Amino acid sequence: MWETLAQAVINGLLIGGIYALVSIGVTLIFGVVKIVNFAQGEFVMIGMYISFFLATQFGIDPLASLVASMPVLFLAGVLIQHFLIRRVLGPNDMPQIFLTFALSLLLLNLSLMLFSANYRTVHTSYSDEAWHIGGLYIPVAKLIAFVVAMALSGLLWVFLHTTDLGRAMRAASQNRDVAMLMGINPNRVFAVAFGTALALAGAAGSLLMPFYSAYPFVGQVFVLMAFVAVVMGTLGNVMGALVASLMMGVAESLGIQFVGADSGLIVVFALLLLTLAFRPSGLGARRGR
Amino acid sequence: MQTSGNMKWLWLAIGAVVMLALPQLVTSSFAIDIFIRILLFSFIGVAWNLMGGYAKQLSLGHAAYFGLGAYTSTIMQVNYGISPWIGMIAGGVVAMLASLPIGWLCFRLRGPYFTIATIATAQVLMLIFLKFRDFAWGAEGTTIPNLGSAPLMMQFEEKSSYYYVVLGLLVVGLWITHQIEKSWIGYYLVAIGEDEDAAEAVGVNAPKVKRDIYMISALLTALAGTFYTQYIYFIDPATAFSFSVSIEAALVSIVGGIGTLWGPVIGTVLLETTSALLQSWLGSSVGGIQLTVYSLILMAVILWRPTGLIGFATDIYHRTIRRKPARA
Repeated sequence: MWETLAQAVINGLLIGGIYALVSIGVTLIFGVVKIVNFAQGEFVMIGMYISFFLATQFGIDPLASLVASMPVLFLAGVLIQHFLIRRVLGPNDMPQIFLTFALSLLLLNLSLMLFSANYRTVHTSYSDEAWHIGGLYIPVAKLIAFVVAMALSGLLWVFLHTTDLGRAMRAASQNRDVAMLMGINPNRVFAVAFGTALALAGAAGSLLMPFYSAYPFVGQVFVLMAFVAVVMGTLGNVMGALVASLMMGVAESLGIQFVGADSGLIVVFALLLLTLAFRPSGLGARRGR
Repeated sequence: MQTSGNMKWLWLAIGAVVMLALPQLVTSSFAIDIFIRILLFSFIGVAWNLMGGYAKQLSLGHAAYFGLGAYTSTIMQVNYGISPWIGMIAGGVVAMLASLPIGWLCFRLRGPYFTIATIATAQVLMLIFLKFRDFAWGAEGTTIPNLGSAPLMMQFEEKSSYYYVVLGLLVVGLWITHQIEKSWIGYYLVAIGEDEDAAEAVGVNAPKVKRDIYMISALLTALAGTFYTQYIYFIDPATAFSFSVSIEAALVSIVGGIGTLWGPVIGTVLLETTSALLQSWLGSSVGGIQLTVYSLILMAVILWRPTGLIGFATDIYHRTIRRKPARA
C-alpha cells in the first residue's frame, strides 16, 4: 500500500515537472502580456518535432536538442508577439482569446498536413533504463526531464529576480500601467516574455521526446493540464503555477492508481472545480476576491 | 441596417420561400447534407451567441449541453423506447438544470478563468459518460436502431425531412434571439457584455440575467445534440461532448458577427461552404487542411474585421450605398 502510494506520488511529480514548464509559460505570458495563450501546447508539439527531426536526421540526442528547440521557439515567440499579439492588445479579451485559439488550430492542423497523424518516437540508450530504489521504480528519462525542468524553472526565477529585464517583467506583471510610467518599454518586455514562455514550451517538448511520442494532438494533453494548474495556482503567478503543476501531476497519478486507469483527469478536474468553487482566484492569490 | 418595415417582411417572405423550396430544387444528397450542417451549426451558433455574443461570456464548453441533449434522448430511446421528440424536450430540461450549477460555478469567474472553467465542465461530463457503461455504453458508444421511415421516432427516409426539422429549430432560435434582442433583457445583456460592474451599478441584476439566458442557451444547444445524434445514428462521449462542437459554436458567431441576430448564420454559411468546397476539391487526401483554412479565416477576421462579416458588410453598405458613416 505505502509503496504503491509512494510510487504514484513519484510518477506524478516526474510528469508534473513537464506540466510545470508548460504552465509557467502560460502564466508568464498572462502575467506580463495579459493574454491567455491557448496555443502553448502546440509549441510543446513543435519542440517535440524539432527534437525528433534532429534525432532522426542528424543523430542528435533529444536532450541535446534543447539548445536548438529553445532558441528557435524563443524567436518564434518574439515574432508572434510582434506581428500578431501586439495588434489585439486592449481591454477586450475576446479577440485575444480567439487569436491564440486560432493560432493553436492553425499549428495543429498544419502539423497534421505536414507530418500526418502518425506517432513519432525516438529511442535513446536511456529510454528504457530505470533505477530501483527500495521497492520503487524511477525511470531515468523522466527523472532527467524532471531535474532539467526544475533547473530551468530555477533559472527563470533567478532571471526574474536578479536581472533588470526580469525585474521589468515582474513589475509589468504586477502593475503594467505604473511600470510603463516608470519607463519600461512594453513592446520589448512583452516580446521577451512571450519568447521565454515559448522557449520553455520548446524545452518541455525536447525533454519529453526520449519517453513520449510526438503527434499533432500531443500539445492538447499538456495544455489542458497546464491550464488547470495555471488557474489553480492563480493566473500570472509563476510560483503558483509551479506548485500547482506538481500537485496536478500527483493528483492525476493518484487518480489513475486508486480510482481507475481512465480516471486521472476526473480527479484533476474535480480538484480544479472544487478550488474554483471556494477560491475563484486560485490558490496563489494574494488575497480573496 | 435601416430597412423599412415593409421591405423587411418582403425579404423574410422571399427567404422563407427559398428555404422551404431548397430541398425540392436541389436533390443531390451531398448538397442537402451540407445544407443540414449549415442549418445545424447556425442553430448551435445562435444558441451560443445569446451568452457569448450579447453578454460576451466566452464559453468554450457548450459541448456539455450538446452532449447532455444527445445522451438524454438516446438513453430514453434505446433503453426505454421513448420517442426522441419527447427525449429532445427532456434533454433540453436536463441541460437547463445542469446549467444552474455550472453557471453558479463559472459565472463567478471573469475573462479567461470563465473560459477555462467552461472547458473543464464539458471535459468532466465527457469523462463521466466514458465511465457509465451500464446504461450509456461507455467509450464505445452505440448506434441508434434504424427503423426506416418512422417520423414519430424522428427517423426519416428522406434527407429533406431532416432538413425541415433543423430549419424549424433554427427559426425558433432566431425568433427567440429576436425577442430577447428587442426586449429589456437584451439591453441588459449588452450592458453586461460592455462592462458588468457598470451594469450592476445602474441596477442590472447581472447574476439573474446571466443565469436565465444561460439556461435558454443550454436548452437550445441540447436540442441540437438530440437532432445531431438522430441524424448520424450514432453516439459516443467523444462525439457528443467533442471540444470541436464548443469551438464551432463560438467560431461561427465570431466570424459572422458576434452579438448580432444573423451573425452565426452568416459565419456558418461561409465556414461550412468553404469546408465543403475544400473537401470536394481535395477529398480526404490531406488531413487537417479544412481546419487550417478555418483558422486562417478566423485570424484574418480577428486581425482585420473584429466586428465579423456583418460589421464588414454594414461598413461597405454605408460607405458605398448610403454614404453615411458606419457605426463604430
